[in-house]
Amino acid sequence: MGEDSVTVLFGFTQAIALTMSVGFLVYVYVIIVPYLRHKPLPPGDSAAFDWHFLVPCRDEEAVIGGTVRYLRQTFPQAHVWVIDDDSDDRTREVVASLQDGAWLHLVRRHRPAARTGKGDALNAAYRALKSWLGRHSEAHRQIVVVVDADGRPAANCLDMCAGATLFGDERIGAVQIDVRMGNRGVAPPAARGWRRWLGTAMVRMQDLEFRTAIAAIQKSRGYTGTISMGGNGQFARLSALDDIGGPEAAPWRGSLLEDFELGVHLLTAGWRTGFTMDTYVDQEGLYSLRRFLVQRTRWGQGTMQCARYVRRIWDSRHLSTLGAAEILYYLAQPWLQLVGTIVYPIPLILLVTRTIADPAWVWRWFTGGAWVLFAVYGSFGIMPFLIWGPIYWWKCERQGSFLRALGYGACYAAYIYTFYVTSWRAVIRLARGRNGWSKTRRNTERPDGVIALDH
Amino acid sequence: MTTTDVAGPRPLAHRLLVVALSAAAVGLVVGHLAYQTVEVSLAGLLLRLFSSSGVYVAPSEQTVYFGLGTSHPLGLTMTPECTSAFLLVPLLLVGALLIGLRPRIAGRVMWSLALAAVILVVVNQVRILVMAGLVSWLGTDRGYYWGHTMVGSMVSVFGGAIALVLFVWLATRGDTGHTDG
Repeated sequence: MGEDSVTVLFGFTQAIALTMSVGFLVYVYVIIVPYLRHKPLPPGDSAAFDWHFLVPCRDEEAVIGGTVRYLRQTFPQAHVWVIDDDSDDRTREVVASLQDGAWLHLVRRHRPAARTGKGDALNAAYRALKSWLGRHSEAHRQIVVVVDADGRPAANCLDMCAGATLFGDERIGAVQIDVRMGNRGVAPPAARGWRRWLGTAMVRMQDLEFRTAIAAIQKSRGYTGTISMGGNGQFARLSALDDIGGPEAAPWRGSLLEDFELGVHLLTAGWRTGFTMDTYVDQEGLYSLRRFLVQRTRWGQGTMQCARYVRRIWDSRHLSTLGAAEILYYLAQPWLQLVGTIVYPIPLILLVTRTIADPAWVWRWFTGGAWVLFAVYGSFGIMPFLIWGPIYWWKCERQGSFLRALGYGACYAAYIYTFYVTSWRAVIRLARGRNGWSKTRRNTERPDGVIALDH
Repeated sequence: MTTTDVAGPRPLAHRLLVVALSAAAVGLVVGHLAYQTVEVSLAGLLLRLFSSSGVYVAPSEQTVYFGLGTSHPLGLTMTPECTSAFLLVPLLLVGALLIGLRPRIAGRVMWSLALAAVILVVVNQVRILVMAGLVSWLGTDRGYYWGHTMVGSMVSVFGGAIALVLFVWLATRGDTGHTDG
């Protein structure tokens, strides 16, 4: 490659990197402001609605018993629907042993129709619920709550979701609540040394991510009208699900990100979605980096699959251009991360090449002021992530000194860089046509135990 | 409550606009030398306007000389790292994407794209003027150091941020999604 070509490549990649970095910095500023301004809203009256927890299970014997007991004791007025996705373990037996009158329901699925994805499992429960309610139920009063098999919704969640700005508003079709890691600050059992430290830090970072960055994104989406749904702590009005269910009575669709998909279908059908930080669902954070990478690869691949909705979103009469642009930016994230892994290193590679060829020139260039550029671009790369550490410490978990807050921020910056790995893994899986559901193992599942496998 | 959104065909004029913006992006990459020559000529004009010392433009080298006749003359070459050409490329591509996805906002996108492009060009000219001013004030070495490395970079970053924010804000504001055309 000639020197001119190298200079052009350098200039071009520098411009793209600068645009992406500046765009991301502005985005982070825009989402931080509404998050920091958040004020709790008053609760509503949960008795105005009927509540149905849907708990999809695929080999969940380790956790399902405790979850069902918790849900029934904490929310005695709510029905619990456990969907057994033809588990290979004792999930079914555990649930059967807990039978609790008319309030606990077991929806059984059988292969080959079973184990085809979480969306299909939820659709099976939706149809069972519709059949159980009968034709004359008031669908707008029925609220379906999707909870993971290890989920622990906060005791106030029904009242908070019944609030005037959430299901108290008849235009609201679905509500997502904040997600926390119930095992934050708890070291992985039996782990020692650096594994113990890494496991504890992994869970802390997941807690930080959900309670600050993701919550801030969701808060800002309140302005664009594009609040999305998550896989845990997802509340939906039955009449809204009926609207988008179609003739197959299947409101959840087939991508690996069926929760996000649900939100897109609701929004493009004219329903509004809500988000609240005034209540939460606790779930188990993953201690294992390997399991975390598997989970995030699945999410990345799911986001890539949802690119098929871009046209639908932009054609919708119900979404503003700003809202459609926000969803487009979200869907573009894994692709931008792929671009980033190519664009960001190029200036550095060229610099290393130049240093090998002419170290004296590079030293003069660096000490002659280029160090400032390194400082500026370095802070661009780290600051948008580092800042969440102090915010988390200030708003969520005020323990320890401010140094700990900075430590959280530094760890979060490193944590986020794993997405560059998972985006590549996701695109490779996509290219190979591997679109199956690779369920993330729970912390309590042993690698040699019975697990749900990709198909 | 459900209403079906039916996507109509994209009008030919909008398709042509998408092609034109994409072609302009490619054109800027391919023809960056010509663009840099125009940029440096514009810098020469502005320097003559604001400076009492001699200014000379060497278009074939994309270089502008200023401070001629003083104790600290300097020549600045517009390189691919310094030009605003490559900063325009992502804006043009995003503009093409927006028009392709929602043709009814084409007018707004074009208007905001034009404004953002003007800002980027002006910011780059301001960067050169600041550099010339600092060289004249602090001398060649110190003036170039502060003007090029520190102030120049900050001007580019903040100018780029303003252009980007204005572009996105102006291109997307005001459309509630309820006025299908």
